[in-house]
Amino acid sequence: MHRGQAKTPRAWLVAALGAGLALGAGVARAQPSSNAPSPNAPSSNAPSSNAPWRPGATSDDAAKTVDDAEDVAVPAPEFVDPAFGPRYVIEDVVVRGNRKTKTALILAELGMQAGDAIVASDPRVDAARFRLLALGHFIDARLSVERGQRRGGVVLLVEVEERGTLVINELYPSTSSATAFWGGADVSDTNFLGRGVNLGGGFVASTKPIVFGAEKGLGLRLHGSIPERQGPAGLGLSATALYDDGSEFFRTSGTDEDADPGRFAAVNTRRAGGVLGVGRTLTRAWHASLDLRGESVRARLPPQRARTLPDGTTAPIDFDVREGASRVATVAVTLDYDTRSDPVLPRAGARVVGTLEAGGPLVGGSYGFGKALVQASLYTKMPRGHALGFHLLGGAIVGEAPYFDQFFIGDLNLLLPRRALGMNFATLPSRNLLGTTIARHRYDDYAARALVEYAIPVWRRRGFVYGGDAFAAVGLLGMASGGDLDPPGPFAWSHLPVDLTADLGLRLDTYVGIFTISIANALSRSSF
Amino acid sequence: MNAHRPALRLDLALLAIVVASSGAARASDEVPRRTTGLALTPAQLVVSVGLQDLFGPDDRERLKSGFVTRVLVRVALQEEGSSEPVAIAFQRTEIVYDLWDERFRLRITRGTGPDVHLDARTPDEAIARAAALWDFPVVEAARLRPGAAYVVAFRGDLNPISEEMLADVRRWLVQPARGQRRVGTGDSFFGSFVSIFVNPRIEDSERQLRFVSQRFELRQVRTAKGGHP
Repeated sequence: MHRGQAKTPRAWLVAALGAGLALGAGVARAQPSSNAPSPNAPSSNAPSSNAPWRPGATSDDAAKTVDDAEDVAVPAPEFVDPAFGPRYVIEDVVVRGNRKTKTALILAELGMQAGDAIVASDPRVDAARFRLLALGHFIDARLSVERGQRRGGVVLLVEVEERGTLVINELYPSTSSATAFWGGADVSDTNFLGRGVNLGGGFVASTKPIVFGAEKGLGLRLHGSIPERQGPAGLGLSATALYDDGSEFFRTSGTDEDADPGRFAAVNTRRAGGVLGVGRTLTRAWHASLDLRGESVRARLPPQRARTLPDGTTAPIDFDVREGASRVATVAVTLDYDTRSDPVLPRAGARVVGTLEAGGPLVGGSYGFGKALVQASLYTKMPRGHALGFHLLGGAIVGEAPYFDQFFIGDLNLLLPRRALGMNFATLPSRNLLGTTIARHRYDDYAARALVEYAIPVWRRRGFVYGGDAFAAVGLLGMASGGDLDPPGPFAWSHLPVDLTADLGLRLDTYVGIFTISIANALSRSSF
Repeated sequence: MNAHRPALRLDLALLAIVVASSGAARASDEVPRRTTGLALTPAQLVVSVGLQDLFGPDDRERLKSGFVTRVLVRVALQEEGSSEPVAIAFQRTEIVYDLWDERFRLRITRGTGPDVHLDARTPDEAIARAAALWDFPVVEAARLRPGAAYVVAFRGDLNPISEEMLADVRRWLVQPARGQRRVGTGDSFFGSFVSIFVNPRIEDSERQLRFVSQRFELRQVRTAKGGHP
């Protein structure tokens, strides 16, 4: 199956019709023109087959057809009349096959009820089916009608086939020179008690790091959400409880590139709190959310509060967390714009997520800071079904943010271990492939990254593995804090805190989930 | 770094296995050939072939759902060795079962031609009318070059859906808690390096059928008796 063309089905139809339908019985020339009006303007709700199709694929050349269909997609006409067929009046609605999911939840998605009149080709029927499928609770959902009490009256039958709704969101097994092992998982039930509520939890636990003063790490999350269709006033509600008890490592000696755990001392921090959020889908592409976050923090700093520099001098260590008890309280607004053609193997569209978070004494926190973060991914089609992606990230913090709210090098550099449930277990600096000052930067107030990714489809088929892309990504990242923006002495490129990052691997979309097998995963996250 | 080596080996091994097996996957993706009736009317090349196997047993059952079943057949003539179609054509059909008259109502449209309304008494008859092409015009005969080799490619879709709807459903299935997973506090935007769940495939149509005709040249095409039906 081939998908992902930029033109909409409507555009294809217009193009096909404009191409000059040479014969009245349905022959279209292959060369489409783009602007000819359609005599049968399709309804926006009319379904269409949009799949680009390489029509001339023969057995001899099928091997090169995996997704080069985009080059010569045949126009996909639409079905134009939603009024074909008999008209019914719904006398009753019967739901079958739902052993776990509440009937009321299904009825709420239908958009049709007893007393409504519908036509056999009513677009609401397809829409209802796909709304049910989009709940994520069913493998299939079907609508049909049976004769009612009188001619024209029908009983609307809704038959669903439930699926497992347990989702493993993430696995965290990994290892580093500082921490022999850390691991855990994040699991959700997307249809808790059959009520459509998403409830889940995650944990990560570590062995005791071999950093002076460090303790075993434990992170816990409990998260739940009520979808918009069930929330008050059409709002989605979410809540997350968090507990992190672990160590962060601060360099006490050695060069910036030296990852020896013996050259670090640990700050032990315990965080407990949560996030309450409301969200709303504004349009098909836009989603907005508001989050309130509160945390109680207790930090124990190491006795060694200064770093011995390579030249023998010492400098105080900024731990970026208050010793003893403190609080974090913030308000965050997030806007999410998503038009990607597919969330796993996109070929077109974009996703942009912007978050503004602010906290301080005004909302009950000990740390006054503001944080802005924008992340964007843009995909464009290339010949032969390939895709080019651009990923951009930019963020800035003003004020006094605790270290765990600052930008962390492991979250930016694909080649480093990233944080698990907000906790770091490694002492690795950035790889410093450009010979800059980046190794000095672990937690910072400013961060930026630009990645270019090229994806080649290697797998499109029915069966267990639906699709797979080989991908290669390369990019540049940079981190800085206040003092880095105006370094002493003359400008030199090597003074810029930037580094290269890259990845190479396979992204798989399968019946049992989504997997990325890549060099960076192996180096950093050990995703299996 | 040494601590990462076992994981690196595992990933590289899996990478090699998947890349190696992708060749086998491609081989299995070959589009089959199906013998197709070809004829020349005075003006057109017409084809006759059946796509009734677009309907599976469950799809036959659902014909009586009382709601419309849609069939889209797309046909493309292509010169062998070229990726550009010479001509394309399509036929769309809607089938609905009348619960009270107990017969199938069909509306068939070829390209921008007029709608043709038909009745069918049985599912087989309805399927044949929707999915079998009889003397289906593909291209003006004058556009065929003597000596050139052609194939006709066919694709049938049962109940196609829109690209936007497909993307939405996929997005909701893969990210059921959109808006809940706030990025920027230790999460990675490039996200799920592993996410395990029952991930049903949602196609852009419920069933698809693709095949190509036998290779042919203009001189091998018979002249239709009586011209275009």
